[in-house]
Amino acid sequence: MSKEAQLSIAERDFILEALRENVRLDGRQPDDYRPLNISFGEEYGHVKLQLGKTNIIVRISAEVTKPREDRPFDGLFNINLELSAMGSPAWENGRTNDIEAYATNTLDRIIRHSNALDTESLCILKGVSCWSIRADVHIIDYDGNITDAACIAIMAGLQHFRRPDAVVRDGRVIVYGVEQRVPVPLNITHKPLSVTFHTFNDSKHVIVDATLKEEQAAEGDLVIGINSAGDVCYLSKYAGAPADAMAIVNKTNVAWEKVKEINAAVDKVLQADLAKRAKIGMADESRAENDRLVQIE
Amino acid sequence: MFGPIASLSQLNRADGSASYKCPATGYSILGAVNAPIELPARRDALKPEEATVEVFVKPGTTTAGVGERYVEGILRSVLGKIVLGREKGFPRRGVVITLAIVGGENVERGDSYLTILPALLHAALLAMISASVPLSMTFSATLLGVTKSGDIVRDPSPTAAKAAVSLHVFAFSSKNHLLLNESEGRFEFDTWELVRERALSICQGVISSDGDVTMDEGTTSASLNGFIRETVEDQVYSDYAYKLDSI
Amino acid sequence: MASTTTPSNPTPPSLSLPPSQFARLQPHAYLLAHLSPPPASNQPSIRANGRATSQFRVTSANAGSLTHTNGSAVVRIGDTAAVCGVRAEILHTKDIASWSVLQASAEQKFDKSNETGVPESQDEEDKGHIQDLNLLVPNLSLSTGCAPGFTPGAPPSALAQSLSHQILSLLHTSRLVKADDLRIWYQPPNLDSEEFHNAGEGMEVDTEESGGPEREIKAFWVLYIDVMIISLAGNPFDAAWASVLAALRDTKLPKAWWDADNETILCSDDVADAQKLSLRGLPVSSSFCSFESDVAAGWRAVVIPDAEEQKQKKGAQQRWILADPDGYEEGLSQERVSVVVDKENGKTVIVKMEKHGGWTVDSDDLRHLVDVSAQRWDEMKRILDQC
Repeated sequence: MSKEAQLSIAERDFILEALRENVRLDGRQPDDYRPLNISFGEEYGHVKLQLGKTNIIVRISAEVTKPREDRPFDGLFNINLELSAMGSPAWENGRTNDIEAYATNTLDRIIRHSNALDTESLCILKGVSCWSIRADVHIIDYDGNITDAACIAIMAGLQHFRRPDAVVRDGRVIVYGVEQRVPVPLNITHKPLSVTFHTFNDSKHVIVDATLKEEQAAEGDLVIGINSAGDVCYLSKYAGAPADAMAIVNKTNVAWEKVKEINAAVDKVLQADLAKRAKIGMADESRAENDRLVQIE
Repeated sequence: MFGPIASLSQLNRADGSASYKCPATGYSILGAVNAPIELPARRDALKPEEATVEVFVKPGTTTAGVGERYVEGILRSVLGKIVLGREKGFPRRGVVITLAIVGGENVERGDSYLTILPALLHAALLAMISASVPLSMTFSATLLGVTKSGDIVRDPSPTAAKAAVSLHVFAFSSKNHLLLNESEGRFEFDTWELVRERALSICQGVISSDGDVTMDEGTTSASLNGFIRETVEDQVYSDYAYKLDSI
Repeated sequence: MASTTTPSNPTPPSLSLPPSQFARLQPHAYLLAHLSPPPASNQPSIRANGRATSQFRVTSANAGSLTHTNGSAVVRIGDTAAVCGVRAEILHTKDIASWSVLQASAEQKFDKSNETGVPESQDEEDKGHIQDLNLLVPNLSLSTGCAPGFTPGAPPSALAQSLSHQILSLLHTSRLVKADDLRIWYQPPNLDSEEFHNAGEGMEVDTEESGGPEREIKAFWVLYIDVMIISLAGNPFDAAWASVLAALRDTKLPKAWWDADNETILCSDDVADAQKLSLRGLPVSSSFCSFESDVAAGWRAVVIPDAEEQKQKKGAQQRWILADPDGYEEGLSQERVSVVVDKENGKTVIVKMEKHGGWTVDSDDLRHLVDVSAQRWDEMKRILDQC
């Protein structure tokens, strides 16, 4: 199977008819996201995100490499998204499809090109070594709107991630293990997120966070990348039916509200996780101290 | 030592799924199985009388390379042998197994893939059970390392595995057949036999003289085969909870 | 196909098909008929290609066939032929991003080993350098037309990638190449400077004795080991590994040193200065497959007996373990065994052993296969020593 099962005519009509009465299949308002659930794994930068039935895992990793010849002061940052048959039986392993190319491109533009992660801060020694940060996105359950979900997960991962501390001494780079020195957080300049809208019925109805079925019934989409401060860093009306220009302007405000909301939610989860880690860290430390006391005795 | 943690059928889209985590080695695998499924792009490779088993291993923080292709080959040959691919609905179709490494260290280029192999095997098996793929048998697998001093260590961590003189992966079927053996390092055949015996007792529990299976391996962990069985039983129990309540 | 070389024709006379067609139509029955002739016929059990079950194909090796490489070899096992070329390139330590980082961690390791009083073994350090810096880069390609089905322009097949990994992994686990052979050193003149204390400690006893400044690694040789299977008729790994082994034994690295004035590496063009690699041992790979008699019989209902039961009535469920299978035999069996052995002072050491794809081979058989592989080692040693 290399195509998602098509929506039946009855289903499509039902979705459209319901929208005319301002009703969505799952009872949400047009501007509502599905319940968002974020949790972190044991490792730094391991994010598990659930947006309704869309389920994503993001892992952030860092390694020391040589910077690019033409940008000796910059570190490297890459987002890697590969769809596998895990997310949907319609996706074939080892083959790229349109969704993958589109989502990768959008994420690249919103997060990488807006310099959300300050790559200059990743430089260790000019022209010799720098950090290469990599975000791997695993889509393990696909029910629409992977762009927004992946964007939230990557940004949460970048804020959660801690890289090993590295110093330069006598022209040599010394990387300290996690147990030797407290690892350092990445330098995040701003927190852009994407908000995807789908339009229906000659762009009379515009909804956010479409499920797979809603995506299939939609006539066009609109992606807005915007940060908490209200700076738009990406705007795309990629394909589908033409949309009303004023609707786009209006929806930018909706997107801004959503981004502020989601960023606040992510912050809350991040703080809770950090507090939990600090607690465990303290417990470990006191245990180590006790051990030392025992040794002295 | 903590035993492994596993659960079945957490994903919505895939036909079957399972997660498997081995705390000793730190690896956490998410497996998904789609079966039986049409594979239009692989028409040349499809067999007229049997199902085609495809395995895809997706590393957590790198792109797949030659090491993944190699381990996929091993998994395909082990799993392909136990899938009853001639059952109704399976010939000319695919059994697509996708395994994502969602936790644990990376297997670097040229590193041994043995450390992660048992976790991959277990995740694949449980996901196939979750997808109701007909199987001729179940199995369990374990990783053992032989240290410099000649001790046999169960589930060595990646660092311990690097320091080991030899590494061995064994998989035994529920009926005690040796399904898979991968050994590397420097060792003699007598050492190998000792390791094999130990592996068998880890997988099947120790079989005492009167034929009863006793849970002797460690004190906390039962046999791995028992663990696989319990995981599936738990899932069946929760799936049919509505029936149990009504009785 | 190999079947045409069959010396005897065990097919009953009533059948009017020529053996070569029978082999294509009923491959499983054809091979089974060869291996289990009717007891009345007095025919020995023999493979369709005329070999006994544990007999390998005729093997030949030739080293130094390619002129533009540092070492090369062609190995032919029956109709499977592999060419291997080893090319050495210089990798400056200043081009290795993780080099200085690596030194830092090595320093810590050294400190730790001092604390615990356990000296770092040379072997471990070797493995670390070769593996962490990727000093051995094998690549295997199955050339166009090496077997039917290999068309031009196709990306590396899963088989080629998996064989590349097997070669790399075996190079690492067998520690065949010594890291010291691949290091290019610089011995600074004795200027009483104490700044070079970071360079790889613990391995050069001589400089410590002389009290001069320590030697420093300036570069490494990276060995690009390219294997090309020009003809594939089963068992590619044995042929590929033998060609790698022969090519590495043939490899000569020019004498190289760091020239402080020009700040570069210089190589001597004098052939007499070139040094051969000193390899650790001679791991030889032998592959087998298990051919089962009842694959076709168990068409639908697959009944698998217990391992114990199976042992008791071994006669009923027959299977043969075939050494060095050709393409025809590989197509008829799923269970594969591969054993890599080495001999140290006449004692057999197993370097790698793998089996998968079935459940008929267990310890007794494996013990026997290790013995067969040990015999094969003697044969391969003779062949490689002569080439």
